[in-house]
Amino acid sequence: MQDQILIEMKGVQKWYGGYQALRNVDLTVRRGEKIVLCGPSGSGKSTLIRCINRLEAIQQGSIVVNGHRLDDSIKAIDVVRQDVGMVFQSFNLFPHMTVLQNCMLAPIRARRISKVEAEATARRYLERVRIGDQAEKYPAQLSGGQQQRVAIARALCMQPKVMLFDEPTSALDPEMVKEVLDTMIGLANDGMTMICVTHEMGFARQVADRVIFMAEGQIIEEGAPDAFFRNPQHARTRQFLGEILAHH
Amino acid sequence: MAPHFGLPEFGFLLRGLQWTMLLTLVAFAGGCTAGLAVALLRTCGHKGVEWITRIYIGIFQGTPLLLQLFVVYYGLALTGLKLDAFVAVAIGFTVNASAFLGEIWRGAIQAVPRGQTEAAMALGLHYSSRMRDIVLPQAIRISLPATIGYLVQLIKGTSLAAIVGFIELARAGQIVSNQTFQPLLVFGVVGAMYFILCWPLSWWGSRMEARLALANQR
Repeated sequence: MQDQILIEMKGVQKWYGGYQALRNVDLTVRRGEKIVLCGPSGSGKSTLIRCINRLEAIQQGSIVVNGHRLDDSIKAIDVVRQDVGMVFQSFNLFPHMTVLQNCMLAPIRARRISKVEAEATARRYLERVRIGDQAEKYPAQLSGGQQQRVAIARALCMQPKVMLFDEPTSALDPEMVKEVLDTMIGLANDGMTMICVTHEMGFARQVADRVIFMAEGQIIEEGAPDAFFRNPQHARTRQFLGEILAHH
Repeated sequence: MAPHFGLPEFGFLLRGLQWTMLLTLVAFAGGCTAGLAVALLRTCGHKGVEWITRIYIGIFQGTPLLLQLFVVYYGLALTGLKLDAFVAVAIGFTVNASAFLGEIWRGAIQAVPRGQTEAAMALGLHYSSRMRDIVLPQAIRISLPATIGYLVQLIKGTSLAAIVGFIELARAGQIVSNQTFQPLLVFGVVGAMYFILCWPLSWWGSRMEARLALANQR
């Protein structure tokens, strides 16, 4: 079970017009693995995870998620998105719906489960991110940290096989970062497969199985957090770590 | 001797007001339905379809409404399709409204943050659900002040229907004025009727706008 491959990217190339955002990226993620992606801005880390659930199309290479090859067909995209949950930097909660409705919509529409079941699932996950008492509120009535925890619960309600986090704490006030990271750590401890784009190196040390460093659309270096932080191999990685760790 | 402006004349104006309201209602309902289709096609992501819709909007925004009414009423008659005046102007106003409302809503759809659509896609929601559940409810809220503003324009604009012989409020006023030789009084009453119809809508529209601005500040 532990060795089962959940995501396999091979030779992935991605261009925005003439600008190449991903250069020949290979990445294999096993079930239960926790991966932290880091690198300077514009290095392609967000683009990489956005390709996994086809928010971005790739021009070359292949992506297989849970045994399903991602191509341009609506069916393939559908199947993959059912297995992949995503949390965004800017939360992207639906402002015209309550917290509970935010969590119930996709299971009802995309999984076609009953309202009763969707509500039970939603309340369970809202409890799990410790926000059950806010279920009837609207997103604007919550703090940033609370909103991001709702966004995590909303993604979990679809019971994904893997969770993608795109800088989930970057838009938060400092005092709210911890509550979101704690939620993510809890999720990791429960065995969720996770790919996190983040600059929270404490989080990387604590939960990551592998840390991957990207620059200019390429994977430069990867390794277990201990080795990665103690003894980075590439000058580019050392420079980056020097810059971000100086701030922490 | 010319009749004075009395109850029968006032009743005649009221009937004109009824036709104005009915025409507005039909044109607005039809324009909303067709305008929604225009807005959705205009934002569908297919280059060819977006271009065709753009041309459609361009034609109806770029030519006088008067001309469009002529084409529907007299033009279609030449091809053997003789339409009742009300049906003809209703069609003309509906098509014209669909272009304007379509463009207003196109802007509103595009004003909904891209992250909303992305979150919906990431959750596995299909186009129909993304539009119905996520984008349109927010777009309608954004477009409400402009939509109400257009409705007010439409109410006043229906007076153009007189040109093909349709008797609505303005035309009724002209007829009564010609009979009574009391233009100031008659057109004063006509103006008051338009005002009673339009002003509450305008007021509601600007209140909506203020509330929207407040919501955006948060």
